Amino acid sequence: MICALAPDVVGQTTPRPSVAGVWVPFGAGRGADPAVAPPPAGPVALKPAYAKEYLAQRAADAEATKRGEPPPSAAMGCVPYGMPRMMAIASYPVEILETPGQITIITEAFSEVRRVFMDQPQLPMDEVPPGYYGHSVGRWQGDSLVVDTVGIKESVPGYQNTPHSDRMRITERLRLITPDVLHDQITIDDPVVLEKPIVYTLAYRRMPDYKMVEFVCDNNREYVDERGRVRMRLGR
Amino acid sequence: MAPGMNKMPRVHGGLLRVALVAALASSGGTPARAHHSFAMFDTARPITISGVVTAFEWTNPHVYIELDVAEGAKVTHWAIELGSPSILMRGGWKFNTLKKGDTITALVSPLRNGEPGSLLNRVTLADGRVLGNGGPAGIGPGTSTSTPPSQQR
Repeated sequence: MICALAPDVVGQTTPRPSVAGVWVPFGAGRGADPAVAPPPAGPVALKPAYAKEYLAQRAADAEATKRGEPPPSAAMGCVPYGMPRMMAIASYPVEILETPGQITIITEAFSEVRRVFMDQPQLPMDEVPPGYYGHSVGRWQGDSLVVDTVGIKESVPGYQNTPHSDRMRITERLRLITPDVLHDQITIDDPVVLEKPIVYTLAYRRMPDYKMVEFVCDNNREYVDERGRVRMRLGR
Repeated sequence: MAPGMNKMPRVHGGLLRVALVAALASSGGTPARAHHSFAMFDTARPITISGVVTAFEWTNPHVYIELDVAEGAKVTHWAIELGSPSILMRGGWKFNTLKKGDTITALVSPLRNGEPGSLLNRVTLADGRVLGNGGPAGIGPGTSTSTPPSQQR
């Protein structure tokens, strides 16, 4: 969708796409239109020192889940997802706002907010306080919005729960595939943990006229018991 | 995790990396689950319970129905977990769909540990309407996301 005329050079305007709106993520599975479905994710290749522990934990978690004792997670405790996982949580919508100099991304699940500062240089990694959303800068490159994010703290679970270091850099390319389908190609680069960058794409459908719903996690009944098992609190 | 993957940590070097690639390469473009795994519920053995609503909590991260279920002279109090308001609204629910005193019948997946807690599958309201646990991409049996939890990111 071309719906903005932005001044590029004095006296000229260039049609520019807009990613503003409310979007709902959809997967590549059942019923997905191959013309707009996200392409398969690239491989995850951790350095051996990280791969061994990660695989062991993943296997242990799978076994526990099979026994009906799923492992606890940060989200289970109502801790927000942070980047990059916050960009697609189940079928919760994501709202993108475009204002002069800034693009703001608000997720419905856990009400997470990212601010993308447009046409600014990225800060050196060591100057960004580690957090859930880091520091994001963006620029339009042709029909793609390219967003660079650094400063995600190491305790924020990574893609597929992979570990990451404070050197992680996330590069997103948001592009309209059709007027009502948006793709976000995400590249995760972490020279400390990864053998090579992880690349995967999230896909979204536009939700016309949808009004975002509040999400305050104030009635969380899931908890972890003394044996480390996820339980549901009863007796209210 | 593919069958047999629990043996992979014993393998070293290049083969280990190949195995890891194989395990994770096929799960692209799939949103993560919202709050927690539902493995603590026995979704393979749903049960039907009928009773009187004592509370309907329209809250996050989950909506809850509190239900008194009479079996003869004995009354058992059940908690029923649903999706979140966002998901449920897209499946036809409203914050005032249920109220204290309503009589309902619910198909639920009970907790595996035998406690009277459960995950909603679908409910028949006092007026005969049937509602599931969210929209087409909601949660719970019959309305689960298109990809198994093992493939979710």
